[in-house]
Amino acid sequence: MPRKVNYGVDYDDDYDEYDYGYEVEDNEETPPEQETIKRSVWRCAVCTYDNDETMSSCDICGVLRGPLLKNLTYDEKRAGFNSLAANIFYLKSSRVHSIVVGEDEAVKVSSKRLDSSDVSTAKDKHNRLDEITFNMQSSGKSLLSLMPKERNVMVANSSSSRNGGKAHDLASNLKNISFSAESGHSNDTNPGRANSYAQYKPEKWMLPGKTEHSLAQLNLAIVGHVDSGKSTLSGRLLHLLGRISQKDMQKYEKESKLQGKGSFAYAWALDESAEERERGITMTVAVAYFDSKIYHVVVLDSPGHKDFVPNMITGATQADAAILVIDASIGSFEAGMDGTKGQTREHAQLIRSFGVDQLIVAVNKMDVVDYSKDRFDLIILQLGTFLRSCGFKDSSVSWIPLSAAKNQNLVSAPSDFRLSWYHGPNLLDTIDSFQPPPRDFSKPLLMPICDVIKSSSQGQVSACGKLEAGALRSGSKVLVMPSAIIATVRSLERDSQPCTIGRAGDNVAVSLHGVDANHVLAGGVLCHPDFPVAFAKHLELKVLVLDVATPILIGSQLEFHIHHAKESARVARISSLLDSKTGKVAKKAPRCIVAKQSAVVEVTLHEAVCVEEFSKCKALGRVFLRTLGRTVAVGIVTRIVEV
Amino acid sequence: MKVLHRDVVPNGPGVVKLVPVDSDDLWLVYNLIATGDRVMAVTFRKVLRAKSGGKNSERVAMKLEIEVEAMDYDKEGAVLRIKGKNILQNEYVTIGAFHTLQLQLCRPFVLTKETWDSLALDVLHQASDPGATADLAVVLMQEGLANILLVGRSVTITSSRIEASIPRKHGPAIVGYESALKTFFENVVQAFIKHVDFNVIRCAVIASPGFTKDQFHRHLLLEAERKQVRPIIENKSRIILVQTSSGYKHSLREVLDAPSVMKMIKDTKAAEEVRTFRDFFDMLSNDPARACYGPKHVGIAHERLAVQTLLITDDLFRSSDVKSRQKYEDLVKEVKKAGGIAHIFSSMHVSGEELAQLTGIAAILRIPLPDLDDIEM
Repeated sequence: MPRKVNYGVDYDDDYDEYDYGYEVEDNEETPPEQETIKRSVWRCAVCTYDNDETMSSCDICGVLRGPLLKNLTYDEKRAGFNSLAANIFYLKSSRVHSIVVGEDEAVKVSSKRLDSSDVSTAKDKHNRLDEITFNMQSSGKSLLSLMPKERNVMVANSSSSRNGGKAHDLASNLKNISFSAESGHSNDTNPGRANSYAQYKPEKWMLPGKTEHSLAQLNLAIVGHVDSGKSTLSGRLLHLLGRISQKDMQKYEKESKLQGKGSFAYAWALDESAEERERGITMTVAVAYFDSKIYHVVVLDSPGHKDFVPNMITGATQADAAILVIDASIGSFEAGMDGTKGQTREHAQLIRSFGVDQLIVAVNKMDVVDYSKDRFDLIILQLGTFLRSCGFKDSSVSWIPLSAAKNQNLVSAPSDFRLSWYHGPNLLDTIDSFQPPPRDFSKPLLMPICDVIKSSSQGQVSACGKLEAGALRSGSKVLVMPSAIIATVRSLERDSQPCTIGRAGDNVAVSLHGVDANHVLAGGVLCHPDFPVAFAKHLELKVLVLDVATPILIGSQLEFHIHHAKESARVARISSLLDSKTGKVAKKAPRCIVAKQSAVVEVTLHEAVCVEEFSKCKALGRVFLRTLGRTVAVGIVTRIVEV
Repeated sequence: MKVLHRDVVPNGPGVVKLVPVDSDDLWLVYNLIATGDRVMAVTFRKVLRAKSGGKNSERVAMKLEIEVEAMDYDKEGAVLRIKGKNILQNEYVTIGAFHTLQLQLCRPFVLTKETWDSLALDVLHQASDPGATADLAVVLMQEGLANILLVGRSVTITSSRIEASIPRKHGPAIVGYESALKTFFENVVQAFIKHVDFNVIRCAVIASPGFTKDQFHRHLLLEAERKQVRPIIENKSRIILVQTSSGYKHSLREVLDAPSVMKMIKDTKAAEEVRTFRDFFDMLSNDPARACYGPKHVGIAHERLAVQTLLITDDLFRSSDVKSRQKYEDLVKEVKKAGGIAHIFSSMHVSGEELAQLTGIAAILRIPLPDLDDIEM
């Protein structure tokens, strides 16, 4: 029978698991319901409610009854139908209007879709729901025979007939529709309609074929407190795997010794600018590529310095998995773990908020502590509790002692006898043991621009970034936001080598043609011309305040970070305080929000940024609020209030 | 501000003749003048002349006294426009005709008020105090963004804002990064030379997260040497470097908090404001029941005689509604009488702006009042 039970505040199942001393139900472990067959009822494929035979759509979730779809993607492996539906439909089920007329079925479903976009619950479960509902729709009724415009108008009307809780204007409605129109595999639809608002059909080359390269992409962020050895570790790895030639290595060693920074020789492979080398730190995220047995790994070496956390955020937002590097030496670990001055905690929290759930903790500089097992165990104990409170599951965190300087336990078993008490896998093997992350191949193109390279010699503009959804190839047309200019892709480059197709998850440099270099800015987004991404100044966010001293009041000035963009922002209104356990509104219009509270707030940005609601696109919906050099809150975009 | 003539009865009518010297003074004048007062100044007026063949209208300089109806303060242009009806007999302008006076720097004017209340007297006193100017020039920057701000006694002006897009630095694009950074610094140096006048300000502060400030400082000194810009070379020692968390304007608070800067400006109003605001914030995070904001809450707290420190922006005093102005005045007086301290924040300063966002009035209380939470704001 239907389970109308709420699973608590669940943004990305990150935030509810910031365990502040209470137990939270874990959504993913709920077992799927048993199949019960009853006569004269049909079972809704989405929410598994047993509907009466006479009903043509499900009573609970409004999904049309129709033949089940074929080819479900990787999403299928993720979660069962049941928990997904229960999660999504509980809180907002009251909003479903029972418009039970033929065409309005679609409207109902899509308005449901719009409603539930406020519900910041399960992520890809949700996406999958869209695919399912739209597939059912498309196969059930010939709604697509309606002109796209009419459909949009209908939905707009229905939305105005809804209680005006949402301040969507027509334009944003249209955009919403277009996004809700993403469908997975409706191969049964008219191919000529590929670009209609009603639905987005991914072209054949966009989906990864079987004959393709078998190595999947993995974006790996390397984070940790300052001077823990991140750049050196990355440099070592690259060298051991043959990505840095012997000649280059010798050059680095010679030059670094000249500057008096001999110990930074490996780090120089990543820190290439004069400023970074001189000071011996990393200032911006360096990108490097290497291949392990299973993955094409893109290494995102982040700065550890407190002042460069904004740079770390914009770099590591692309990450699928992370390595947290810890300095094992006496005093350094403790300094890193310090609440206000250490970066270990802040980085771990940020990484978790990026949606990363697979983590390797590399305990570096073991040679300094003589490879002591006790020190290793102590670190595991202290840091482990903290990681658990952040929301990392014990099963997805691996602990590896190593020494980057002495090349112990990186790509092969440790040679030093003092490390012989360790019998686990080495670093490279642990990287291989990561689960492949899910990719949105079949959504319209979305690529946040991390970096812009202007080669004035050829008048070319290259935008670098990670493809969050969809695919690209040379000749495709893309829409550059926020300047809303259409450009064509001249060429694609990955790992300094030209490639033909870039798919979701790939970190590529896109060379663009037809757009002025001034219009392509870091923090912008490349998207499909028919499915533009929204950009706005006023946003409604659901945030969780971290463990910081300063409260957030109305009018507080904060720095707002979202994918690669950052803006100065002001808290316009604190709409409500949410109860951390149940996610329900605990208090309306509180005076301020203090540490460890969740709330719904409205912020006004200084300039508009490209943004999407979290439920539509996770990468564009995560936000970070910082002030006075610390991250005060992490959150998601629940609603775009107005442009 | 120079006070040329003064004839005032406390809480009674009075006349003063003033000459504003800098934009701070204009701000004080803006706070001083209220609707209903009378201002006399030299002004220009286009007068129609019945003249055959020749100009029909001419700009004539004349002395006009008007009764104030509305005021407009232009921070960037350093001018105060006062609109009102003419009340002085004049050959060109009839009584009752509207006119807008422009009060500018170094131009004297006469102000006549019906009642010189304590606040107005306060402002007057402050204005004539020659010392205690904050006068700080701050370059707040981060990679790709720079704000040059002039912090005055009661006003903070943004002289210029420079934004540049600086690419990331790895691989072949490093050259691009260096040149983009250089261009950015060039622009900032030019703006710095233009707006920062070492004769007026006490010291210049360069603030940024990371190492941008060091890079810029180095660049600035090199440029000064190269182009022989005397003011900068002579005043090298008056340039301070401060660490902040970002280059956005609200980080100015952190600059004013920094010990090295605080030392220079400790006796000034701006520093005091920052300190008080910080105290309020600390109280709000440590013991929320002892801090409140919003007119309703503060009013209730005051009734219970719980207010220890009152923070109020001068915005609230300038409301044209005489009753509310009177109410706030009374509040300030009573708080002072009860032994508390009242801080009037200039809404043109960083902390004043932030306070204005919080409804403009806040208080630190003597005793905790937890039930305020239940009362709607």
